[in-house]
Amino acid sequence: MAINFRDGVILGADSRTTTGSYIANRVTDKLTQVHDTIWCCRSGSAADTQAVADIVSYYLGMYGIVNEEPPTTPTAAALFQELCYENKEMLKAGIIIAGYDKRHGGQVYSIPLGGSLHKQSYAIGGSGSTYIYGYCDMHWKESMTEEEGVAFVKSALQEAIKWDGSSGGVIRLVVLTAKGATRHVYLPDDGYKGPGAK
Amino acid sequence: MKAVENGGTAIGIRCKDGVVLAVEKITTSKLLKPGANKRTATVDRNIGIVSAGLVPDGRHFISRARDEASSWRNIYKGPIPTSALANRLGGYVQAYTLYSSVRPFGVTAIIGGWDPESELLVDGQVGTGPKSGSGGKVEGVKAGGPALYMIEPSGLYWGYHGAATGKGRQAAKAELEKLDLSAGNLSLYDGVKEAARIIFIAHEDSKDKDFELEMTWVSSLDGPTKGRHEEVPTGLLEDAKKAAMRSREREVEDDEDRPKSHDGERMEE
Amino acid sequence: MPGFDFSNYNRNVALHAKGVPLPKATSTGTTIVGCIYDQGVVVRPDTRATSGPIVADKVILLRSQSKFNCEKLHYIAPQIWCAGAGTAADTEFTTALISSNMELHSLWLGRQPRVVTCMTMLKQYLFRHQGHIGAYLVVAGVDPTGIHLFTVHAHGSTDKLPYVTMGSGSLAAMSVFESTWKPHLNRKEAIELAAEAIKAGIFNDLGSGSNVDVCVIEKDKPTQLLRNYLKPNERGQKERTYRFPKGTTAFLKEKVITKEDIGKYVTVQELSSDEDVAVVEKMDIDT
Repeated sequence: MAINFRDGVILGADSRTTTGSYIANRVTDKLTQVHDTIWCCRSGSAADTQAVADIVSYYLGMYGIVNEEPPTTPTAAALFQELCYENKEMLKAGIIIAGYDKRHGGQVYSIPLGGSLHKQSYAIGGSGSTYIYGYCDMHWKESMTEEEGVAFVKSALQEAIKWDGSSGGVIRLVVLTAKGATRHVYLPDDGYKGPGAK
Repeated sequence: MKAVENGGTAIGIRCKDGVVLAVEKITTSKLLKPGANKRTATVDRNIGIVSAGLVPDGRHFISRARDEASSWRNIYKGPIPTSALANRLGGYVQAYTLYSSVRPFGVTAIIGGWDPESELLVDGQVGTGPKSGSGGKVEGVKAGGPALYMIEPSGLYWGYHGAATGKGRQAAKAELEKLDLSAGNLSLYDGVKEAARIIFIAHEDSKDKDFELEMTWVSSLDGPTKGRHEEVPTGLLEDAKKAAMRSREREVEDDEDRPKSHDGERMEE
Repeated sequence: MPGFDFSNYNRNVALHAKGVPLPKATSTGTTIVGCIYDQGVVVRPDTRATSGPIVADKVILLRSQSKFNCEKLHYIAPQIWCAGAGTAADTEFTTALISSNMELHSLWLGRQPRVVTCMTMLKQYLFRHQGHIGAYLVVAGVDPTGIHLFTVHAHGSTDKLPYVTMGSGSLAAMSVFESTWKPHLNRKEAIELAAEAIKAGIFNDLGSGSNVDVCVIEKDKPTQLLRNYLKPNERGQKERTYRFPKGTTAFLKEKVITKEDIGKYVTVQELSSDEDVAVVEKMDIDT
């Protein structure tokens, strides 16, 4: 999931990767960087989303060099959408793009299975998301502070992990602001209290 | 190079709230239909190009510019920034200097555009995000604005406050320098008047030939063209022409007892 | 008649229609594991940042053999090795191809090959073939940027972890890692831990079996291949003989055919010893 807050965006995800009923990786990093302050949350097929993110990462890298200015979040969203829509028959990819750029500040886009592109205040996706539509709708506030935003994302993900068998492991967050990207990790050992930002 | 130097004069002025492009179109025959065979073209909604030199080369150049703008849209789902378009066209023109099988472009082109200052939406996106608060609607961020570039047959290009090319470029440049464009005070409407005046001055060198004044402009989103590149409306164009002719007559009178000054040319190929 | 002959194809279609199953590619029952040791990888990056230069960069990669005493460790570059599970032919040819490309690539760059490069080449190649190439790989190695350990799945997804397992015995092996792995292992501990994991695979997974090979990759040292590091399945001396004595099976009548009798129908040749091979017929071919 990803949300807008007052000073930027926050991305969050659990860390479970499964092959059938086997947990292939319990500490996966599903928050993937495609440029300095443009990141995405991957859900669906690991192979498909990794391939798409790698391609977009390459394009955005080239964009930054050729045009001598960093790409914006809408640019990244456009590239993701083109790949997801044109190859929709072959892909199983649900991607949320969140980024911070000087011109637009924070922005959140969601690309569900068919390859459409939705600009949203906040976006949730993946198998666990169905369990937290109500929770998020209930607790969502426009222009939260960073602390409020982190608490919102973390508690929503905790609910998803609680109810969804395919979600679990640690909670990873990325906070994107004018100052850059900050990572957070919250471990299940102590009820997702820490260690927090790093 | 000769072809470019002797074509009708073309100029561009980058004003604070828009860009004006103007060209002196020499009419080689009385039989030609007035207002046809345009020398200025719209390349994307917000970008125009005027070219001086070989007319067919200019048409091909504009066609390439449109292809570049459309390919950018296909990839990035938004308008091409004027700077990026100038960069790509510069590369294209330069490539024609490299091979023995082709000759270089016989045009110098002036590219004028207004890069949208508003939030950029992705073509085909669903929804626009939150109505208020965070989510792409940052207040007071300086983005977009007027842009003016000139590309030479070598592929060399620079960004300008005021650009001139063609036969009367010397006189036109002298006039553009007097406007103190870098201060950024000139309004778009004043720019239109000045552009017309400068083309009339530049025409002095080829007084014996008939010409049409062709003029296009592009303003900010809240300006007269709403961010689009368009022809200057007929009424305004005629007013500017009349004002230009009046001021020309005055200057000729003044010039009787004033020695002529020659500004050295700054950029030459 | 010249041209293509489709009779075998038509035969196969007919057989398949009658319910004869298609032959299967050999999929080896396998346990492969990988483990990084020393200060190489730690869970908290802050300790990594303060640990200064990593002194002994080492990776170990262990694997078991299954039914065949085949080599399941694949060379990519001197300091990058792969262990493969899944379709044997696919792992063999995929790693051979990437190994070749890696060598050309590092020759072209004039630099040491990097493990991420290898992992990226593998994932892009496998993704392109949409899982039809059944190669499940553990990629491990040391390069100028450090020590690395990855898994690459047949569909093209990759994971980066301090310890990994793959193959049919991966669940058993992972249970060993999950219960006994701790940060800051030394070389000896890491080899032992990985060997334990492999053994769990050998004993608890029907497909995996026989011996353990180890590959240790260390910085500035030649890669060591320890073949048959463990042989937990040596065949012991049987306590009894299971040969059946002559005459165990009852028979109703006996008929002896002499050499002379059978000589009427076939050519009989006398052999001087067991090793002597009789050449009955010769085919003359151009040499």
